[in-house]
Amino acid sequence: MKLNRVRKSAGYAVIIVSSLVMILPFLTTLFNSLKTYAQYTAVPPKWFPSPIQWSNYSEVWKLGPFGQYTLNSVIVTVLSVGGALISCSMVAYAFARLRFPFKNTLFMIVLGTMMIPPVVLIIPQFVIFKSLHMLDTLTPLWIIEWLAQPFGIFLMRQAFLMIPKDYEESAKLDGCNPFQIYWKIFLPMCKPTFATLAVFTFMTKWNEILSPAIFLTSKENFTLPIGILSMAGQWSGNEQYMVAAALMSLIPILLVFLFAEKYFVQGTNSSGIK
Amino acid sequence: MTLLAALLISGCSSQGKGSGEVELKLGFYSSAQSDEKMQELITKFQEKHPNIKIKTESSPYNQFFQKLDTQIAAESAPDIWLSDGVLVPKYAERGVLKDLTEWIQRDLKSEEYYGLDFNKDASGKYWGVPQGIQIAVLYYNKDMFDEAQVDYPIEDWTWDDLKAAAEKLTKDSNGKYAVDSSFDKNKISQYGLTFFSITEGWMTVLKSYGGGVLNDTLDQSIIHSPENKAALDWIVDGMQRELFPTPSDLKSFQSNMALFPSKAAAMRIGIYARTIDANNAGLNYDVSLLPMGPDGIRFSPVIANSWVINKKADGAVADAAWEWVKFWATEDEVQKEWASLGEAVPVKKSVANSEQFLNGSPANKQAFLDSFEFAGTLDVNAVWSEWVGKFNDNINRAFEGEIPVDQAMIQADQEVQKVLDEFYKK
Repeated sequence: MKLNRVRKSAGYAVIIVSSLVMILPFLTTLFNSLKTYAQYTAVPPKWFPSPIQWSNYSEVWKLGPFGQYTLNSVIVTVLSVGGALISCSMVAYAFARLRFPFKNTLFMIVLGTMMIPPVVLIIPQFVIFKSLHMLDTLTPLWIIEWLAQPFGIFLMRQAFLMIPKDYEESAKLDGCNPFQIYWKIFLPMCKPTFATLAVFTFMTKWNEILSPAIFLTSKENFTLPIGILSMAGQWSGNEQYMVAAALMSLIPILLVFLFAEKYFVQGTNSSGIK
Repeated sequence: MTLLAALLISGCSSQGKGSGEVELKLGFYSSAQSDEKMQELITKFQEKHPNIKIKTESSPYNQFFQKLDTQIAAESAPDIWLSDGVLVPKYAERGVLKDLTEWIQRDLKSEEYYGLDFNKDASGKYWGVPQGIQIAVLYYNKDMFDEAQVDYPIEDWTWDDLKAAAEKLTKDSNGKYAVDSSFDKNKISQYGLTFFSITEGWMTVLKSYGGGVLNDTLDQSIIHSPENKAALDWIVDGMQRELFPTPSDLKSFQSNMALFPSKAAAMRIGIYARTIDANNAGLNYDVSLLPMGPDGIRFSPVIANSWVINKKADGAVADAAWEWVKFWATEDEVQKEWASLGEAVPVKKSVANSEQFLNGSPANKQAFLDSFEFAGTLDVNAVWSEWVGKFNDNINRAFEGEIPVDQAMIQADQEVQKVLDEFYKK
């Protein structure tokens, strides 16, 4: 009994210490965002800002159209997440359930494209979007996600493969066509995987730097990461504002995580047939 | 369907020009501090040239050049862009830039400007017109000098004088200076001099010792020389005694640039733009000329960030681009406005020598102008970034004390020459 309690408190101690370690970089960032430049660069480093520079946060809004950047990022991510969920799940359903020639070879090719580094793709993409007159618009940033990215296909296919054939067969008996099976049976059963793909796409798109930097040219079209980077400039000396801006750009990610968390939890209890 | 849509869109966009109106695509790397000023100047320019419509293309500094390479590959680079000075030859020698020689000779009087010649290649052609100039001087923190009771740097310092002062200014965490016998070089709290990279580190020392990296035509390495050996020995000695940080010491700071503004170093070799963070940090500092080598040679590295014009721009667009360059270079008002940002020394001598530039902090801004007497580029050529990388890889090992200076010089010499040959001997 006593031993058990000791073990338990030791467990808690480990958890507390490790979460403190985990939160430390975050706290450092938070404190750095509240310093003046002199405090920010002080040696030896000063842990806590004094006086606290709350104005750094309002200063960020003066350095550029921060609201516009945020709006652009929201548009790109929302449309991307929608696109990824719809296109990846449809393609994955085909690979998981439909019968057609060269299915496995095609799937291998799809997976193979994951090995091509994005930098190699950027020039052809640039040329394509240029000839479609889509440069310097937000379109290239989200439309790509509507073309079913390989990682999403792989993830969704795995989830669909777990669903027993019986569901499909009984739906067929009830008169469902393949699209109805996909829409009414498979989608509702794979919510947790959807949440995973949504969060994954959200994070990638929210933090993406390469494509927006290459495709966008006017300031009013910048997304958050590019907007924040362009606040620094070549000679800067204002890093504390960047840190504050970066922290603010984290808020939506935190919100999405909080919202999607219950689906993750659900995912662990409801796999298989109930 | 898509094809039809594409046709429709392209059909629409090609209309609406004519009536003598020119659209000029202007590229520049942006920052919150300078964008507003740039926009103001663009508006002023358009008022004077109502037929020219400027469309800006900006990106953060690092992404700008990445994007430019993509745009060049896709043949849609801006008509005119702001190039980092060290990258002008890269674009020029790859045939992307317009030769500006005739225009410059026709419209600009070279004696009125600082640094027009920094964009001239070995055959005398001009590839760009400086937008603002970075030139290096010696920065020193007056408070730290006062505290250590060391006299401020004077203009006839040699590098050895600087090292003697650095010795009195390098402090360990017990408050002992490097001249003390109980000084602990493993616990430095303050360096005498911060020293890093090509611009704010080794190039100045190599050149003022009579050495250097490339020959006059910029296609042969001259690294392996007694002059460079003497210069590198001077640097390595300072680093081994921890009077200046080694490259690995620097890793413990947020950035290489941080040491001087954060009062972790008493002196630095710094370009003009470093006055911004020194002023932001509220330092009590001033600047002086960079020290001389043992034979009295001086050298101050220069980077002339410049407007360059796309070779593909022609006719009315090229003329409009040149109007922009002229507007930037010749108008005192434009030069003054830009100088007020404190990012660069104005190109036009009359403005650089005006009170407006010379006033303010640091007190001795004249030192930047005086340094033009012995200024030179960083041996920039078409493969600058590549050879600097190879040089650093080898020389840093000597700085860390891993290999002897001779060995580092031989290896750097071979690797740099290989980079040069790959480009120039095709």
